[in-house]
Amino acid sequence: MPTQAYLLLSAALFCLGIFGALTRRNAIGVLVAIELMANAVNINLVAFSRVWGSLTGQVFTLFSLALTVSEVVIGLAIVILLYRAHQSVLTDSASEMKG
Amino acid sequence: MSASSYTPVSAALLCCAAPLLSFVLLGLTPALRRKGAIAGHVSIAFAALSTFFAASLLAGRLSAAQAPADIGQVGWLYAGAKLVVSMGVQVDGISASMLVVVTVVALCVQVFSLGYLHDEPPAALGRYYTWHSLFLFSMLGLVVAPNALQLFLCWELVGLASYLLIGFYFKKPSAGQAAVKAFWVTKFADIGLGAGLLVLYAIAGTFDWSPEAVHLLGVGGATWVAGLFFLAVMGKSAQFPLHIWLPDAMEGPTPVSALLHAATMVAAGVYLIVRTFPIFEAAPGVLAFMAYLGAWTALFASIIACSQNDIKKVLAYSTAAQLGYMVSALGAGEVWPGYFHLVTHAAFKALLFLGAGALIHAVHSNNLEDMGGLWPKLKISGTAFIIGAMALAGIPGFAGFFSKDAILDVLLERNLIVPWLALLAGAGLTAFYMTRVVLLALFGKPGHHTEHAHESPASMLAPLVLLAIAALSLGFAGTALAGAAGHAYAFHLSTSGLIASALALGGIAVGWLAYGKGAFVPGQIAPFAFVQGIVAASAVDRSFAWSYRVAFQGVSASVAWFDRYIIDGFMNFSAWLTQVMGQRLRAAQTGRVIDYLYAVVAGLLLLAAAGFWR
Repeated sequence: MPTQAYLLLSAALFCLGIFGALTRRNAIGVLVAIELMANAVNINLVAFSRVWGSLTGQVFTLFSLALTVSEVVIGLAIVILLYRAHQSVLTDSASEMKG
Repeated sequence: MSASSYTPVSAALLCCAAPLLSFVLLGLTPALRRKGAIAGHVSIAFAALSTFFAASLLAGRLSAAQAPADIGQVGWLYAGAKLVVSMGVQVDGISASMLVVVTVVALCVQVFSLGYLHDEPPAALGRYYTWHSLFLFSMLGLVVAPNALQLFLCWELVGLASYLLIGFYFKKPSAGQAAVKAFWVTKFADIGLGAGLLVLYAIAGTFDWSPEAVHLLGVGGATWVAGLFFLAVMGKSAQFPLHIWLPDAMEGPTPVSALLHAATMVAAGVYLIVRTFPIFEAAPGVLAFMAYLGAWTALFASIIACSQNDIKKVLAYSTAAQLGYMVSALGAGEVWPGYFHLVTHAAFKALLFLGAGALIHAVHSNNLEDMGGLWPKLKISGTAFIIGAMALAGIPGFAGFFSKDAILDVLLERNLIVPWLALLAGAGLTAFYMTRVVLLALFGKPGHHTEHAHESPASMLAPLVLLAIAALSLGFAGTALAGAAGHAYAFHLSTSGLIASALALGGIAVGWLAYGKGAFVPGQIAPFAFVQGIVAASAVDRSFAWSYRVAFQGVSASVAWFDRYIIDGFMNFSAWLTQVMGQRLRAAQTGRVIDYLYAVVAGLLLLAAAGFWR
């Protein structure tokens, strides 16, 4: 398979992630969309690792996965706190920082 | 201390260190200071120690005349590896004799003050002696200074100490005002000394007055430096028109006036000229100006002194006049006569002020009209005062005669006829007004305070006797002192001396006719009434006040306008701008997470575009 295919997949996934993050009102949905964007990056890393014949990209992907997992844990914790405070997981409900 | 390590330099250092130690001791231990008389004794003990070292230095100089100056100094300020200025002591004939003059007068004044200020609360007395020690230290540091910068520092300390002492009775508003006036007038003049130092360093690269420095200055540079220095001298040594602080300084206690007028404050100005004379010598224009201005001051102040009713003000104007003599003589281009007069004047003016202090102490008033007929009650103080008056008037045989004769002689020799005439007239006037003071205060009909008058305690009489002896004998020490200072001087009765003596005797005769015999009333004679009119209107002070108001307030008003409308306006505008911008920008902070995410994506797109179009 040509490298372009991987890159196209990655780009499509990333745009999907951005679209989701910007349009979802549900905080969990936003988190999932961010997950998509992170994995688009991971695909890129693995693809270039294959192109250059080096393992560095794959190692980075492992790190990235670990990071993403921790991020999701913290994100879900925030969502729980948001729910406790507002009885809702909609991002619109948290607007106390309005200037 | 072994004999070998007791050099002139270490003696000079000890001489300066003693009053400094006393100042630090009294300044840092309030318990001691507030004891009053005990603090006074501490200060006197250190002053006596200082006097001893000064006397040993002068004795060494007198026995080894013509020896080169003993200089000891340590580097103080460096620019990289280059030594810019050092601190230390320079002992030669001039500074050694001046050290003795300063320490002896200060010692006499401090002893006298014990009796004079006996009724002051102990804390005030302790404060008085603390400032006295500071004053003595500053003046000694000035006298031994080997370069102009150290001289400048001590000069300012002298000004500070005299401010503190003039304002000793600070609860009296007039004393506070007099202190501030003395401080500001001399500070204004000190701009000259500071600027002169800068010019000196800029051209010659040194703060010395060595021949090399003078050579580097050239005539133009020397004229700038000497002219600027002379501005400071005019303030410190009360030359017209900056003499205005001196009469007001009489608000201080009388012993302070004695110290100020004899050995420390006003003497500093003349001493500066004596010390930096190589620079002045290279500036003929400044010298000529000095000769004329000094003579004018002498004449002007003598005239005003005739019309004063406050015994201390008479003496104050006479000080300005005598300083005029010194400045005029130095302006003639000769160091010795002016310096000699500084020394003799220190003795008899301290004597006069302390004597006046004894009279004031007896009647509790400065006013000549409250005195009168004091002679039978105050025989010793009265005699001392008369001796001082005769020395000031220049009666042959008294100290003032010799130095005044030398001054007049050098002026005539240098063909400065106008100053010479003015000083001769001043000599006659001096005799007249001193006769007036003596007759009004000691003789004549008793004033209403006279009956309770009593002779002063021994602590006040002893300094009077010592200074009276000095005023009687100092004139005969002239040759020896001049030799130690490297000048040739031998007394010879000159034409000017004869004329001056005749005028002095004439002045005494006129004074006696007016105030002793009552042959005429001076107030009714036109010229005298005119002078009294000038004094009553205090024309000089008023013109100063007026120019101060116009010049100073004009500048202040424009500065204030600039500050209020330009500086403050700029500040207010930027504050207003910040506020308006903030109001507008707060709308961007919606508080919704998604909006911030939009901003992040927009930033990402911008970065991508920047990367793409680069």
